[in-house]
Amino acid sequence: MNRRDLLKTALAGTALGAFGPAFRADAATGILWMTWENLAKDDYLAPFIAANDISLTKTFIGTDDEQFAKLRAGGADSVDLITPGLDKVEYYTASDLLQPIDFARVPNAAKLYDTFKQTPLGKVDGQTYGIPFYWGINPIVYRADLMEAEPDWSVFFEGDAYNGKLAMRDYALEGIMIAAMYLGIPESEMFTMDDRQLAEVKKVLKIQKSKLRTYWNSIGDLTNLFATGEVVCAFSWVPPYYELRAKGIDMGMAKPKEGVIGWCDTIAVPKGVEGARLDAAFALVDYLLGPDYGKMLAVGGPYAQSTSAARDLLSDEQQDKIFVKDLSVMDSFVWKQNPPRYGDWVALWNEVKAS
Amino acid sequence: MAVAAKTAAGRRTRPLLEVIALHKSYGSVQAVRGIDLSLANESYVTLLGPSGCGKTTLLRMVGGFEAIGSGTLMLDGMRLDDLPANRRPINTVFQSYALFPHLSVLENVAFGLSYRAVPKDRIKARAREALATVRMEAMADRRPRQLSGGQQQRVALARAIVNEPRLLLLDEPLSALDRRMRKDMQIELKDLQRRLGMTFLHVTHDQEEAFALSDRIVVMRDGRIEQQGAPGDIYTRPATAYVADFIGGASCLPGRILGPAGKGYAIETALGRHVVPGVAGLSVGARAVLCLRSEQVALGDTGTPAEVTHAVYRGADWLLECVAGGQLFQVAHAGPPPAPGETVRLSFDPDRVWIAREAA
Amino acid sequence: MRPQSAGNWLALPVVAALGALCLAPLAILFAYSFFSVDFVTISHDPSLKNYARILQSETYRGLIARAFGSGLLVAAITAVIGYPVAWFLAKRAGAAKTMLLTLLLVPLYSGDLLRIFAWRVLLGAEGAINRSLIWLGAIDAPLQGLLFSPLATHIALTYNYLPFMVIGLWLAFESLDDAWLEAAADLGAPGRDRFRRVTLPLTAPGLIAGGLMVFVMVVGDYLTPQLLGGASGVTVISAINDLFGTAFDWPLGSAIAWTMLAILMLCFGAGATLIRRSSLVAEGA
Repeated sequence: MNRRDLLKTALAGTALGAFGPAFRADAATGILWMTWENLAKDDYLAPFIAANDISLTKTFIGTDDEQFAKLRAGGADSVDLITPGLDKVEYYTASDLLQPIDFARVPNAAKLYDTFKQTPLGKVDGQTYGIPFYWGINPIVYRADLMEAEPDWSVFFEGDAYNGKLAMRDYALEGIMIAAMYLGIPESEMFTMDDRQLAEVKKVLKIQKSKLRTYWNSIGDLTNLFATGEVVCAFSWVPPYYELRAKGIDMGMAKPKEGVIGWCDTIAVPKGVEGARLDAAFALVDYLLGPDYGKMLAVGGPYAQSTSAARDLLSDEQQDKIFVKDLSVMDSFVWKQNPPRYGDWVALWNEVKAS
Repeated sequence: MAVAAKTAAGRRTRPLLEVIALHKSYGSVQAVRGIDLSLANESYVTLLGPSGCGKTTLLRMVGGFEAIGSGTLMLDGMRLDDLPANRRPINTVFQSYALFPHLSVLENVAFGLSYRAVPKDRIKARAREALATVRMEAMADRRPRQLSGGQQQRVALARAIVNEPRLLLLDEPLSALDRRMRKDMQIELKDLQRRLGMTFLHVTHDQEEAFALSDRIVVMRDGRIEQQGAPGDIYTRPATAYVADFIGGASCLPGRILGPAGKGYAIETALGRHVVPGVAGLSVGARAVLCLRSEQVALGDTGTPAEVTHAVYRGADWLLECVAGGQLFQVAHAGPPPAPGETVRLSFDPDRVWIAREAA
Repeated sequence: MRPQSAGNWLALPVVAALGALCLAPLAILFAYSFFSVDFVTISHDPSLKNYARILQSETYRGLIARAFGSGLLVAAITAVIGYPVAWFLAKRAGAAKTMLLTLLLVPLYSGDLLRIFAWRVLLGAEGAINRSLIWLGAIDAPLQGLLFSPLATHIALTYNYLPFMVIGLWLAFESLDDAWLEAAADLGAPGRDRFRRVTLPLTAPGLIAGGLMVFVMVVGDYLTPQLLGGASGVTVISAINDLFGTAFDWPLGSAIAWTMLAILMLCFGAGATLIRRSSLVAEGA
């Protein structure tokens, strides 16, 4: 957690304290949604607020871990909806913090894309606890003007052409997934790699380290590094691609055929939410999966929601931007999961970085 | 050391320290403006003057802490001008004592010996001897801050004399002590100087201290020497009105020399003509002052009428302030004092008072 | 009630608040360092397992050693640079002193991120230094090692924490009476001896205090290495952060944090003893 996150946490805590009692005194049903700031813009939510007698309070999170820590520390009582990553829902269910989603009250869930319907993530014993909500991919972003060909994962492990001009996100889970994909380890084994496989991963990650300019921690920072040419190619998020193209830099985005890392956030209801508040919470979940919100998120984000509710309302260009024009792209996605030996993964990642 | 090897005969015939045409300015301020001074071997010399008169600057140039402006410094016939402080055979007792706080008393005293030709195993013994000289051997292991002002003063003294300097400089060494301690230390200083046969150059603004200690007093004013001589000479035969006033607070009655008369001069003043001894070389018509010390003026039935303005009890006697002819006089008076406002008559013995120059 | 004991009682809330705010979290961390974790369940059976893991792990040992090595190195560099600067401020700056002190502190008013990005602009492959050197013909290709290297990290750390060293030393020099140096010269000590026997021992408390401040801040700074150190910018602090955040291994994170804390306390104890010894000298207690 960096200092800004800390500050956000503190502010969020203050907000909780300050608004908690206030909204309960309101005549309308008050609910509190813990979420990312970019998902809860007022205009995205205006139709929902207008159509329902519900007062919505938002508290913003800085990291997924922070959200989990807050709930575990006893925050679950005052929160009605949270926004955990699909791979993190397991943390909450293992800690017995969530209640299952009542699909009867979320009709829009019927429009979930198949991949989200079928994923075993976010579920325990067939019950869904975290319902996929919006998603995207983390591709390779590169300076097309400074690279000869579209790169794939091997650019981080082979050859000397771009030594000292590459960047990798400082995140054990994704870093190790990429090494595994490069090594051809199938998705079915990826999250349960044995010691031999982990040793191989470690070996190639050390090679990778020698080629990196830096590990990046904030997407804004990476965007700067692209802009100044310090970094020509990185495992990235999508925003720098659009942001720098808009500034006239010839950026490229590669989705390696060995696999593209997909991410997905869910929406989940903490245990203990009941009565009118539970109704209101599910009403909001349904809205978030519906066409009004989906369209605004696609245009404003740009991010794709997990249902096809808004897809037909979008132009081809908009569809392409959020990867829903050709749905077959989802076949090459490798969804992030929480590996059972994640502690060892983190240790391995630190060993590589410290080597 | 080369200086120490000079013959005893050489020492006696030549002054120890010679200051020749010494100047020093700080920017546009002239601190020392042309000083010539000789110090005889084994003498105790005091530089006396108010603050800002240049006495400390002079001392610091001798010590090597200030670069000289122009002029020459000679010690034992050797030029000191370009010698840094650490190579001058001179030691200093600083006004603040400047004892090293991180060293014990003994270590302070031994500090300088490591730069002298003293065998390593003798250094501590020599330092202890020096402490014994100032009766501080019992405090050898203390830290300076654990000592009283007088004790620190003695350690500072021991630290300087242990090096057997040719010349010891003392910069207002007693100013931080209370009056009683100051008196005691004056006696000790004088005694020490005699016993060690060292030459002391002592800076002070306190005339009593100067009288108590010195073989020779150098009165300074505005960067120049106003008068120098034995304490008795300075007191009884001040060269200028300034010296007469600064030493013993004489009342100076301005006048004009009418001509030589008797053992001195005839002088015309606002209070009449008098024939009085005075400094040599006053020409007819020269402006001069008649110096009257409080103990030289008496109340009587005859003499100049004067009005008493104040009377201050001093224990042994009273000090009266009287005004006559627009001039203020101080009078030491043994009996019951006249009331302020009363008119008295002042008289003095013309043979015991003195005519000084109006200015140098 | 005597006034003094009233004062003691009045101070109680402050002491209690300090205890709650500073010590309680540390105590909780200390307790956690003996626990263990299984996925999201923390087992409260105490053991020394976490400390054993640190001892056995070359990575954590190396990271801890690297942190303290960096702390020592930067403290040493800032001491060497700061010493003459502090001397100048205290003894030679004259009327400009206040202005120069303010200037010295100006970098501290800007955010640490701002300073880090300023270094990027200076040291980058397309940065000011590389461009100037290429323009001058001194090099043909940009020096990659200037940025995203331990060199860049240590330059920025030195820059960041130099003011603290200078302030510590400046205070020491302010209380260093010039008469002591004159006395040393008077007693025959040449320049280098005056430094060795008088200046250095009497400014040592400032040097130790400044050094400890710099040391602690360098050990705790993970942002500068992360953003300027490139691929080798990992620190033990970011590793602790990973353990707490990503891996949910609070016990191991606590154990590393406490190992660091224990070593730091040892350093502080040693430093405080040294300062007390030299101020015993100064205060004559």
